[in-house]
Amino acid sequence: MSEPLAPQKGPQPDEDAQGPPSTVASRLARWQDAGGVVVPVITALVAFLIGGLLVLATGHNPFQAYWDIVNGAGLNWLAHPTNTDVANTAAYNFSQTLLQTSSLILTGLAVAFAFRCGMFNIGGNGQYLVGLFVANWIGVSFVNMSRPAHVLIGVVAAMLAGAVWAGIAGFLKATVGAHEVITTIMLNWIAYWIGNYLFQQGGPLQGPENKPLDIPISGNVVDGAKLPVFWGDPALQGLHIGFFVSIGALVVFWLILNRTTLGYEVRAVGYNPDAAAYGGIRVRTNYVRAMAISGAFAGLAGGLDMLGYLYKIGTSDVQVQAIGFLGIAVALLGRNTALGVGLAAFLFGGLLYGTTHGLQSGTIDPSLAGHLTEMIQGLVVLFVGADVLILAVWNARRKLRRRTPTETSPVAPEAAA
Amino acid sequence: MRGITKRFPGVLANDRVDFDLRKGEVHALLGENGAGKSTLMNVLYGLYRHDEGEISLNGRPASFGSAKDAIDRGIGMVHQHFMLIPVMTVAENIVLEVEPTRAGVLLDYDAAVERVRDISTRFGLAVDPTAKVENISVGQQQRVEILKALYRDAEILILDEPTAVLTPQEAGELFEIIRSLQAGGTSIIFISHKLNEVLEIADRITVLRRGKKIDTVPREGATEEGLARMMVGREVLLRVEKKPTEPGDTLLEVRSLNVHDDRGLPAVRDVSFTVRAGEIVGLAGVEGNGQSELIEAITGLRPLESGEVVVGGEAVHHATARRMLDHGVGHIPEDRQRRGLVLEFTIAENIALHDYSSPPDSRWGWLFPRRLIQRAARLIREFDVRGGGPTTSGGALSGGNQQKVVVAREIARDPKVLVAAQPTRGLDVGAIEYLHRRLVEERDEGRAILLISLELDEILSLSDRILVMYEGQIVGEHKPGATEEEIGLEMLGGRRKEASAA
Amino acid sequence: MSTYVGSFTRSRLYDSTTVGTVGIVLGVVAFVLAIPPFTSRSPLWPILLGMVAVLFGIVCLSRGGGRVGGGAIAAGIAGGGLALLAMQSSVDNLNQVFTASLIASMLVFATPLTYAALGGMFSERSGVVNIGLEGMMLMGAFWGIWGADKTGSWFWGVLIGMASGGLLALVHAFFAIHLRADQIVGGTAVNFLALGITGYFFVQLYHGQNVPTGVSQIPDVKLASESSHSFFADSIGHLNLMIWIGILFVPLSYVVLFKTPIGLRIRACGEHPRAADTVGINVYLVRYGAVVLSGVLAAMGGAYLTVGYLNTYNENVTAGRGFIALAAMIFGNWRPFGAFGAALLFGFSTALAYRLPVYSSSAATLFQALPYVLTLIAVAGVIGRTVPPAADGKPYKKQ
Repeated sequence: MSEPLAPQKGPQPDEDAQGPPSTVASRLARWQDAGGVVVPVITALVAFLIGGLLVLATGHNPFQAYWDIVNGAGLNWLAHPTNTDVANTAAYNFSQTLLQTSSLILTGLAVAFAFRCGMFNIGGNGQYLVGLFVANWIGVSFVNMSRPAHVLIGVVAAMLAGAVWAGIAGFLKATVGAHEVITTIMLNWIAYWIGNYLFQQGGPLQGPENKPLDIPISGNVVDGAKLPVFWGDPALQGLHIGFFVSIGALVVFWLILNRTTLGYEVRAVGYNPDAAAYGGIRVRTNYVRAMAISGAFAGLAGGLDMLGYLYKIGTSDVQVQAIGFLGIAVALLGRNTALGVGLAAFLFGGLLYGTTHGLQSGTIDPSLAGHLTEMIQGLVVLFVGADVLILAVWNARRKLRRRTPTETSPVAPEAAA
Repeated sequence: MRGITKRFPGVLANDRVDFDLRKGEVHALLGENGAGKSTLMNVLYGLYRHDEGEISLNGRPASFGSAKDAIDRGIGMVHQHFMLIPVMTVAENIVLEVEPTRAGVLLDYDAAVERVRDISTRFGLAVDPTAKVENISVGQQQRVEILKALYRDAEILILDEPTAVLTPQEAGELFEIIRSLQAGGTSIIFISHKLNEVLEIADRITVLRRGKKIDTVPREGATEEGLARMMVGREVLLRVEKKPTEPGDTLLEVRSLNVHDDRGLPAVRDVSFTVRAGEIVGLAGVEGNGQSELIEAITGLRPLESGEVVVGGEAVHHATARRMLDHGVGHIPEDRQRRGLVLEFTIAENIALHDYSSPPDSRWGWLFPRRLIQRAARLIREFDVRGGGPTTSGGALSGGNQQKVVVAREIARDPKVLVAAQPTRGLDVGAIEYLHRRLVEERDEGRAILLISLELDEILSLSDRILVMYEGQIVGEHKPGATEEEIGLEMLGGRRKEASAA
Repeated sequence: MSTYVGSFTRSRLYDSTTVGTVGIVLGVVAFVLAIPPFTSRSPLWPILLGMVAVLFGIVCLSRGGGRVGGGAIAAGIAGGGLALLAMQSSVDNLNQVFTASLIASMLVFATPLTYAALGGMFSERSGVVNIGLEGMMLMGAFWGIWGADKTGSWFWGVLIGMASGGLLALVHAFFAIHLRADQIVGGTAVNFLALGITGYFFVQLYHGQNVPTGVSQIPDVKLASESSHSFFADSIGHLNLMIWIGILFVPLSYVVLFKTPIGLRIRACGEHPRAADTVGINVYLVRYGAVVLSGVLAAMGGAYLTVGYLNTYNENVTAGRGFIALAAMIFGNWRPFGAFGAALLFGFSTALAYRLPVYSSSAATLFQALPYVLTLIAVAGVIGRTVPPAADGKPYKKQ
């Protein structure tokens, strides 16, 4: 079989004729060269600034509001990190921020890994959901299994479910060329409705105890399938060992990409599929494999969340779930690198918890602040996507630093032809 | 045009260029790739803004902010890559932006067809107005482009490398059209880097070199040698020094090969030939006659419909790129930026593109970046790659050095067969000489080299045997002594004969 | 990220005539299932088969299949309908589900999709991928009802809603066109942004719940008297004004896109922007216009939802309709009538889903996923190729 080649028909638009193809991954590499760490920081700051202006315009004190969010996220705990007792509000808030961070790291990696292979995985949410469903099913069933086996099977099954769900999109791209953006959007909504079906009144995974009460919620994960909690009280959403799994996933992500032949192939395909095919790499296989690995990250997030602190899920939870979508912002802000994703996940984890739960002074309504998070998320994604803006900012910075003329670009003589 | 200067970031594309065009003349703009010909014309056509200099038209100053301004002042341009919309009809393409309307708002398609038919008969450019552009030949598409300009009452017509995509026969027809337009009073600027064409069609010739105007000369008295000297700034080495060859065993054999293009239409038809150790076989042909598909089939990038590729005496079935590499086929691809390199990868990673998955680069799927770097450092020295070290990204190198990285990678694998597709496209003279010398050296090492080039000169100067490809078939085979005319005639299908397996 | 469907060389197997023929066969099978010897008593199968037949018909038509496609649509409707008639005698529930008002609800659910799908079509025909339709629709929904509430007039409400959608589209256009941002990333951002903005102001202005009842509502067009309960009256006798306008927009869009110079230029920008540029078309201007228009249209769909249909607002009221509209547009092969046909089909499946709990609530829920599954099948190319504009999603750089 040959690899998919660029379709050629009639006269070609000359954008194609000039220079190499521009894939998502190659654009991102350009951003990388251009901006380093400065651009994401500027991006985030501008997003917060605009958010703050809106808060101001609607009659609230933005500094107070942001300070509230900072405290709500438990960052004030860092000033007294010795007191780990979660009876202390700051410590509790911080543990909750880390809880959110660990999910976001994984859904962020789910988007980032596909990006590195030149694909945009918008389906993190669907993959996360199927992870939740499968982990819930396994966690509720098999009551007599030993704890390590039960946990392991639950988590692995959730990963596999996510991998399969994303793999469908990868498979369709590889075989018939269906664009992954469309297929993953559709798969998100299919997962959404499957969730509504599974846990609704009379649904197959509705908890037996909820049936007579007409409550559309699943059964509870049995104690033997719960992840150990190392900080806080399991009954109050303590921080479970899944946090370390997430940190480990960052390392695994980096190792796969930079130290394995699989990662080499993924990056080659992501930057330039034609060159990869020429190099003897099977491009289609890589699309399927990279999507499946992406989905596995998101499914893992679902599995850890279910067995780590959620324990049950209802149709209303399915409907409002957005952790997978937030992964897009995390990956883009983190520029699809391991370290970047980790930091961006912490930022959004703090925002997510800080705006919805931890607010104290009453400067701003928690539900108002929650929407502020969505807006900041939108602004971050908007700015991060604008490479021209970023390059402009970066070039301006460089000009300020040294006013020497730019060195001759070596590819320019050809480009000017 | 007087003193036109145009800068791009890091490069001076036009440096105080003067250019004038008289009414009713054909004025050729001659220069190598990258000499600034297209840039100058894009300035005239309003697509680029010049940084310095002035343009005047019919004695009045003119400054074009957009193509629309230029069109309004009677300038038309036929771009090297056609500006046609494949899925639309000829008439739609021609009337775009100056559409005839009915009732003020509705598009009057019938009137458009009628008017196109009108001017196409008036100027003798036969083309069907209702045909879709994607269904007509390249030569006809070019006519559509010319009609587009004429429809807008162009008095000045810029033709940018118009013959690059044409068969010599179509080029002949184009010259007829140019002469008749000239007789009708249209002035024509003819951009080319082909000396013989320029001497055939132009009244005056302006030569550009590295963004500077060298001279404007009348056709009378101009010679190929003189123009060539002006173009490149010194005597051109038209012949490569090489010893006569002693071909050895047959290393590559292609048997009755049939290959389809992306649309599923036959592109290579029943092609058979051999390449032996220690010889360079040149494959000549006009672009789009199946060469690309043939290369892709030989290198495993495209499936065969029927036939066989035999490498080193062993037939390779169900070939993939990987299998072909493992059988010892090296490939310098047509487009090094699109296919030959991953520009974002470092040189070290690029050099590992074929071998990353086997020791010493990796073991059990685990990659050893240090070994990649060590190997790259060695090859960079050996092949004299300049402008960066092993961890420089491929995109940061100049075209010539990028090509050296590709060549280094392919030759370092010690291939039995080396397929070199347009290895010198877009390179400067120094890099071309280096690559030509290197190819001859590799031939002398005993490799079988298949050279594909659109430049007949290159084929003639390097090959030990020449095959001519036309419409997917091998139509002729020649010894190095063959003349350009003989081969040229076959390239346009003038004399068909069945390919004989050598 | 530009094209939805890449090269698919086996398309000859799936040419439009084959698709249409299969559609006709399916329509017949739908009917056969309901009569002896099968005598299926569940309406699900005939409906499903009938709908798939219609779908094949739409696909066939929008890819130039002509008469066969029309035949498939007819066969699907007739086959499904006759099958239901055949069951009529024995299944009482049918009377509850299949009433003339089903047609009315189909149109109700199809209308927001139609507006947004037509909008998306303009944007993508000009070369800008717009997956931000959902967000633009949501803006129209919220600001539309806010406007109707504050001004006391549904008319101004809809206009304000349209303006808000256009504004959000302008943001998308600016990033996609001038900043050459990745259009999918931009569209995703726009969706988040709309969710944040509408959510924020819903809390700020209405405390998250208190949209006053009795906000000025878009009137219905009364073609039949209040009291009449004929088939005509129940199906299209009391439809909302916006439904009729939406239906009117379909041929209008067709004329604009394919029969006017503007349409020719829009399509030129979406197929080959440099070619358009070289004849003097201002590619940026055309794309800005098309994207803003798409936002305005999507917002109209949203405003219909709140000001015309629900007459209230709740958080994220559009709930993914923008994505179904996107699906309808792809399904309709970037053509107005194709998109409308798909919108009707998806509207029908939603309308049906709301009535199916009579039989089975699980089936009803799963039915909601049908549009997404069908779209998945469509983009997989199983039933004919979708061909997006050649330059769709590619930023254009002026020289």
